[in-house]
Amino acid sequence: MKRQRIGALLVVATLCVAIAAALGLRLGSTVVDGQSSAPISRNSQVPRAADGHPDLQAVWNFSSLTPLERPAEFSGRPTISLAEAAQYEKSVMDRNNADRRDGGANADLARAYNDGWYDRGTHVAIVNGAARTSLIVDPADGRIPALTADAQRRAGERAQQRRDHASDGPEDRSLAERCLGFNAGPPMLPGPYNNYMQLFQFKDHVIIFNEMIHDARVVPLDGRSHLPATVRRYLGDSIGRWEGNTLVVDTTNFTDKTNFRGASDRMHLVERFTRVDADTLLYEFTVDDPTSFTKGWSAAVPMKRTDEQLFEYACHEGNEAMVGILGGARYEDRQKP
Amino acid sequence: MRTKVVFALAGVGLFVAAAMPVVAHHAFGGEFDANRPVLLKGTVGKVELVNPHAWIHINATEVTVGGEKKDLKGAAEEWAVEGGTPNTLLRRGITRDSLAGNPEVVVDGYQTRDHTLLRANGRNITFKDGRKLFMGSSGTGAPKDGADPTEPPK
Repeated sequence: MKRQRIGALLVVATLCVAIAAALGLRLGSTVVDGQSSAPISRNSQVPRAADGHPDLQAVWNFSSLTPLERPAEFSGRPTISLAEAAQYEKSVMDRNNADRRDGGANADLARAYNDGWYDRGTHVAIVNGAARTSLIVDPADGRIPALTADAQRRAGERAQQRRDHASDGPEDRSLAERCLGFNAGPPMLPGPYNNYMQLFQFKDHVIIFNEMIHDARVVPLDGRSHLPATVRRYLGDSIGRWEGNTLVVDTTNFTDKTNFRGASDRMHLVERFTRVDADTLLYEFTVDDPTSFTKGWSAAVPMKRTDEQLFEYACHEGNEAMVGILGGARYEDRQKP
Repeated sequence: MRTKVVFALAGVGLFVAAAMPVVAHHAFGGEFDANRPVLLKGTVGKVELVNPHAWIHINATEVTVGGEKKDLKGAAEEWAVEGGTPNTLLRRGITRDSLAGNPEVVVDGYQTRDHTLLRANGRNITFKDGRKLFMGSSGTGAPKDGADPTEPPK
C-alpha cells in the first residue's frame, strides 16, 4: 500500500517536474507577478499566493450527486432544503447502488460489479449555501438548451455510424473506451469514480491535472492568443487570466470528435475557478456554440479540498476491455450463419 | 435495447443519474453477454490491480455457465474476472495484500461475448461465508468527499 502510494506520488511529481521544466518554470518558486490589474479583495479565509492572487493549489474532489440536468421531480425548483437534499441523496444512492440485483440481466450487467468499486460521492452540490437540483444554473430550467437542426443532424449521423459500425475496429468505439476522454473534460463533470483534480499554480501557467485519464492541461497566463484555427485538440487550447479573485480559463480549438453534449468543434468554453473558502473551489463553466445549442448554457460544480492524493490511472496500458469488446464482436460475427 | 441505451450514453460521454446506473469507463454490454451468467466457486489466484480495470484470477473448481454446470473432470479452470478502478480501493485501504492467502470466493457475473474465453465480470464476489469481497460505498463507507460538515476529521 505504502509503496503504491509512493509510486503514485512519484508519477505525479515526475509529470509536474517534467512539465515545469519544459516550461522553464522553477518548482517551489512563488507567484510574484500578478496577471491582472483588477483590484483583489482580501478574504482572510482564502489562502493567498505571494502576489495576492488566491492560492488555488490543492487536490480537489468534484464528486456530486446533483445531476447535470434537473430531474423532472424538481421542475421549477433550482434549490431544495437541506432536509430534502438528504432525502434525495439517499434515493440516488439507493438507485445507483450496484449491489442491488433487480431490473433484469441487462440492468444487472450495466452495474458491472459491486459497489465497492464506485466512488460517486455522497452529497448534492451546495452552491452559495443552497442545495442545487442541477449543476446547470443557466438556463433557469436547469436543462441543456435544445440542439440546433445542424447539431441534431450531426448527432443522427453519429448514431447511424454507431449502428452500422458498432465494433468494426477500435476507432468505432467511444473516446472513453479508447482512454482518450472521459468526465475530466474539459469541462470537468462528476463521474462514477476518480473525481479528483489537482491544480498547480505558477507565475505564468496553471496546470489542471485530472486523475481520470490522467489529463494535464497546461494553461498559459501570459496573455497569448489562441492557437491558429487549423490546430484542433481533444482538450482544446486553453489560455487563462485572472479576473479579480477568479481564475478564468478560455478554451477553443476543440476537435469534432469530442462533441461534448452535442457540441461541435466550434465550442467555446469558459471556465471560472474561485476559491470561496479554505475548503471549497467553485468551478463554473459556460458552453457557447451557436452551431449546436439554441442558446449558451452554464453550470456550477463545487469542488471540495481533500487530503487525498491523485493515483495513476494509466487507462490505455491496461485496456483489456477493448480487446474483449472487439474480440466479442468478431466471435459473434463467426456465429452468424 | 437497454444495452443500446448504455452504448449511446457511453459513446457521447454522458453521465446521468437515470433509471439505468451510471456506466464506467466502457459499455459493459459491449464486452460481456447478459445472456451468459456465470457462477464460479474457487480460490483467488493472481490479483492485477491495474487501471482502468482490475482483474482477479480465480482457480475455479465449480463452474456454471448459462445455467449449466460444466464437467471439469476434477480439474480447475482459471477464470479472469474484471473489476473496476483500483484507485477507489486504494482510497479505502484495500490492496492486493487484502486478498492474500488464496481465499475461497464465489463469483457471480457474466461471461465475455466471446464464449471461448474464460473471462467474466465480477458482478458480485463474495467470500465463502457470504461477506462481500469489497464493501459498497452507498451510505457510509465511501471515501469522504468533504461535503459533509458532520464528517469526523481525517
